[in-house]
Amino acid sequence: MKYESPTVQRGINMRQGHTQGRINVEKPKDRKKTFARLARYFFGERLGVLLLMALVFVGVLGSVFAPKYQSSAIDCIVAGNFGGVSYFLAVMMGLYIVNGLATMLQGYLGAVLSQRMTGRIRDDLFKKIVLLPISYTDTHSHGDLISRITNDADNISNVISQSLSSMFSGVLMLFGTVAMMMWYNIALALLSCSMVILTLFATTLLTKYMRKYYVRRQELLGALNGTINEMIGNTRTVTAYNRQKTAINDFVKTADDLTKAGIIAETISSSMGPVMNCLSNVSFVLVGVFGAWFALRGYITVGVISAFVVYARQFSRPINELAQIYGQIMTALAGAERIFDVLDEQTENFAGVQIEQKTRGVIEFRHVNFSYVPGVQVIKDFSLRIEAGRKIALVGSTGSGKTTIINLLMRFYDIDSGEILLDGQDIRSIALKSLRSKIGIVLQDTVLFTDTVRANLTYSRNDVTDHELQNVASFTGFDRVVKNLQSGYETVLNSSNITLSQGQRQLLAIGRAFLSRPEILILDEATSSVDTRLEKHIQDTMTELTRHSTSLIIAHRLSTIQDADEIIVMDHGSIIETGNHRTLLELNGRYRELYETQFSGIST
Amino acid sequence: MRPNLPIVQLLTWVKDFFEVMLKSRYNNCNTGVQRMNGKNFSTFSYIGKYWALVIGSVLFMIAEVSVDLYQPRMMRVIVDFGVLGLDNNGTPNISLVLRVGLRMILIVFVGGFCGVMCGVLTNLCGQNFGNDIRKDCFRKIMHFSFAQTDKFSSGSLITRITNDVTLTQNMIQQLMRGFVRCMMFLFAGSYALVSMDADYRVVILVAMPLILLNILLVLRKANPLFDALQKALDKINTLVQENIAGARVVKAFNQEEHETQRFEAQNREYMDIQRRVLILLSMMRPTMNIILNCAVVAVIKIGAVSIQNGSAAPGVVMAAVTYLTQILNGMLMLAMLFQNITRGVTSARRLNEILVTESDIKDGAGDFEVLPAERGHVRFRNVSFSYPSSRGTVLHDINLDVKPGETLAIIGETGCGKTSLVNLIPRFYDVSGGSVEVGGHDVRDYKLEELRKRVAVVLQKSELFSSTIRENIAMGNPLADLSEIEEAARSAQADEFISRCKSGYDTKVSEAGMSLSGGQRQRIAISRALLKKADILILDDATSALDFKTEAAVQEALRTRYRDVTKIIIAVRIMSVKNADRIAVIEDGTITACDTHEKLLSTSTAYAKIYESQIKDTAP
Repeated sequence: MKYESPTVQRGINMRQGHTQGRINVEKPKDRKKTFARLARYFFGERLGVLLLMALVFVGVLGSVFAPKYQSSAIDCIVAGNFGGVSYFLAVMMGLYIVNGLATMLQGYLGAVLSQRMTGRIRDDLFKKIVLLPISYTDTHSHGDLISRITNDADNISNVISQSLSSMFSGVLMLFGTVAMMMWYNIALALLSCSMVILTLFATTLLTKYMRKYYVRRQELLGALNGTINEMIGNTRTVTAYNRQKTAINDFVKTADDLTKAGIIAETISSSMGPVMNCLSNVSFVLVGVFGAWFALRGYITVGVISAFVVYARQFSRPINELAQIYGQIMTALAGAERIFDVLDEQTENFAGVQIEQKTRGVIEFRHVNFSYVPGVQVIKDFSLRIEAGRKIALVGSTGSGKTTIINLLMRFYDIDSGEILLDGQDIRSIALKSLRSKIGIVLQDTVLFTDTVRANLTYSRNDVTDHELQNVASFTGFDRVVKNLQSGYETVLNSSNITLSQGQRQLLAIGRAFLSRPEILILDEATSSVDTRLEKHIQDTMTELTRHSTSLIIAHRLSTIQDADEIIVMDHGSIIETGNHRTLLELNGRYRELYETQFSGIST
Repeated sequence: MRPNLPIVQLLTWVKDFFEVMLKSRYNNCNTGVQRMNGKNFSTFSYIGKYWALVIGSVLFMIAEVSVDLYQPRMMRVIVDFGVLGLDNNGTPNISLVLRVGLRMILIVFVGGFCGVMCGVLTNLCGQNFGNDIRKDCFRKIMHFSFAQTDKFSSGSLITRITNDVTLTQNMIQQLMRGFVRCMMFLFAGSYALVSMDADYRVVILVAMPLILLNILLVLRKANPLFDALQKALDKINTLVQENIAGARVVKAFNQEEHETQRFEAQNREYMDIQRRVLILLSMMRPTMNIILNCAVVAVIKIGAVSIQNGSAAPGVVMAAVTYLTQILNGMLMLAMLFQNITRGVTSARRLNEILVTESDIKDGAGDFEVLPAERGHVRFRNVSFSYPSSRGTVLHDINLDVKPGETLAIIGETGCGKTSLVNLIPRFYDVSGGSVEVGGHDVRDYKLEELRKRVAVVLQKSELFSSTIRENIAMGNPLADLSEIEEAARSAQADEFISRCKSGYDTKVSEAGMSLSGGQRQRIAISRALLKKADILILDDATSALDFKTEAAVQEALRTRYRDVTKIIIAVRIMSVKNADRIAVIEDGTITACDTHEKLLSTSTAYAKIYESQIKDTAP
């Protein structure tokens, strides 16, 4: 699924943004704390921020004083003093130009500042994410994490680049305008203010009423999108089971409900403009009536009325904007809070002893206990000693804990109790990077990166020679695949143009593991999608190449692990049988049972 | 490619828009499906049904804008004659202010009412328009053949039916409200201004092109940046997604720093573009404001001169300032509108592509009865097949006769055409040559629904829906009662784990089905197919995630409880196919051997090789 950039949308749908800014307001849990932390990023750019504020101040001064000169010019005209008009006009124009230039610089500075700050937040966040323990990524929604790095950061960026200066200028404008109006005439100023308050009251009322329908519409939209995703994603099943009509009926029902809710919600939101327009005109008439009356009494000049007309407009705008900006700021703070939540997570502990020399590869598990969720023990009192250079196979039905053993050895997860030793040293005392650099691993789910084939193969090292690359590709059989790719090793793998089959992806992952020159090799169902003949070939070559290293293999197909030095049969997190192929068969236990279902098959 | 002059750009937009508009031809049908015959059909013809609403909304809009335009005149009366008392020796006339003021408030309320009504009608029209398109697109997609879904890709179909429908609908609504409004403000405003004092013409003639130039220059620069921004964001998304999903690999290979560097480079690129977009957009408003205010100064100056000459009253100047502001704001709105139209037109095109696509797999006549003895009989005659999108032949010279109740297994290397072969039976794809027969009739002669009733397929990828397990299984037969569902689940070896779930058969399958393991998903999919009680059951590598014991139990159940059903089983593992009545060996798109396990061992070298690699030295 593609992500719509919120920035782009906001730039274009100004009208929608107006209402949505108020409707979808998310509230942060701890406003003050989050704000204080965000302020630290601001502090890093304090010069820029101060300059921005100064520019806003200049801009506001311009737009507050310009109407004064406009009114003076009109006063001159009315008074018949045509010579003075040009002077006032020139000052007014100067002020507007100053205001325009200040706004431009504001925009520029806002863009630069926001991008620098959000860039830093994003970098910090990503740095954190790569260092988070596997247990975090395993238990948190990936989409949610991604949206923190994109959407939430973008919301902050928008607030910095736009809302911040708007808010500052809004507040200044508000005070400036009120001050000017008060200076001219207190009674008329109070009248204008009361109209603005009435406008605010009306919009708040409408917004409140509208929110209910927006929420309903949002829910229905979610439901509809869910249906669309599911029915179109699973279109093959829908077709195979003749379910098109049911799917269409369900869809039509939700779509119709959505339309009804949408019509009500949007009708109210589109009434907002005309209603406010009405009120602002009523306010004009009131200013006119009272202004004329005051003028008649000689309290004010006619020019003041014209100034008031401008001020009244200027006055209501920042109030509406501020309400909107408040929503944006709250949403951004909520996003910042989510970002800080991740930043506060504990990263993996990379400290520990560096292993400089080559390991012997003796691995020992001593009374290891482990559970992913407290109370549900996955590994129970697991003890196993693997001698250097041996080929060990782990077998057992799904859920017996084979992959967990590997998670523990790689320290993707830390054990609850017991010890795991590498060459006699507790792996928890070894620096993570040092430990992991000794182990080459090919995982059940093949992970490839959007990069060239070469970059994917040489992922672990920069100094792989072409010769080495060719060698590995040829023995994994991946060279045949590369031949068919348009740009060979330089082909960029991405989801849209190149589709490698599951088997081909596995070959690449195996090549990658070999090129990392591991001292211990782990294959977790690494060849499950490769056809059996090629699998055999890879296994043979692997045995040859890794003659001196310890290897740990998990495989469903027992045929591929028959020549392992030792086969460990696991069940419910413990070892139930150990031995080689022959001795295990003679044992007449679980291994034999597994073996027989596989080889003598269905007749049992 | 890109036109150099902003005005050329504007013309292209106008052309694009009218092209799409004019091509539309409204057919007078109410239901969606029959409506789109012929390639000339256009998304915009959907608006035709709501012509009354469109006209109403435009009329209300005209009324609202008229009020907006008329109101400065009343303001002028209030200022000139009421406040300034120009006809009253300079004494303000409060009763006039009150009188005209009341009339103005009245008219403004009428205008407000028209504005609200315009909104109501526009929403009714736009939302229903969008809904009609959305529903018709969905209907179309549901009836697309697999080849057509492949061509569009399901991701693209989803984006179209969600984003593109919304964008098209927004465009229509904005057109109805905005376009009329802008045009009226522009023309009527200009007219009113010029009619007040001809000298204002100069102001308009200078300011308008300047503003237009400003808008177009900014948009022309911004448009390609928007695309670039979207792409940069996509790249960030992909990179983060990969890093989170592939965290184990990153850690195992100690590449945290390398990934951080990759991200920082990508982040810089994104920030750079976003900064440029923001700066560009932030320049537009201030520039416009400067031009606008210069124009205001000019208007006041001209007004001063006219008043000095005695040809105008001061109120005229104020009205002129208001008109000018309206005109120039109208232009800004127009610019925004054009921006939306370009996006909307692109979306409408993408929807059009769906709406004009006819399903290429059509119902046959279906005017026959299948003889009881022929039920479950499948026959391939000289079948060849290639995917519409590629040139290579996937299957050729396929001749195969599967008797009712027989169990046929298909084995062969990955990519040899096994799935393609079985996909031809329920007509997921149509043959390129030869024919496939089910129950003694060509599959193309059946009504699709009838044909697919006879065939139950378990797909390679188990697709589950976000309802309960019971509902997922009941897809096979919506009328089945719980005991039937349980029976199917027992045969598929699913009953045990389902019963262990908290709510049993009423357990919710979470949206992505993440709560179930691959093997459990496969077993639910198999239960669904078994419940269908079709003549033919196809298992397309559907037991790959089951351990051998469970797979054997499923096969045993198939043999004993579904004796009469013709079973076609694709598998990779020899053990899954060994006990079939016959095994077809496929190599490079054709059947090279088809016999029992024992005979194949001696007759087919390919089969023997597969066997050896899997069984090794063990005797059968």
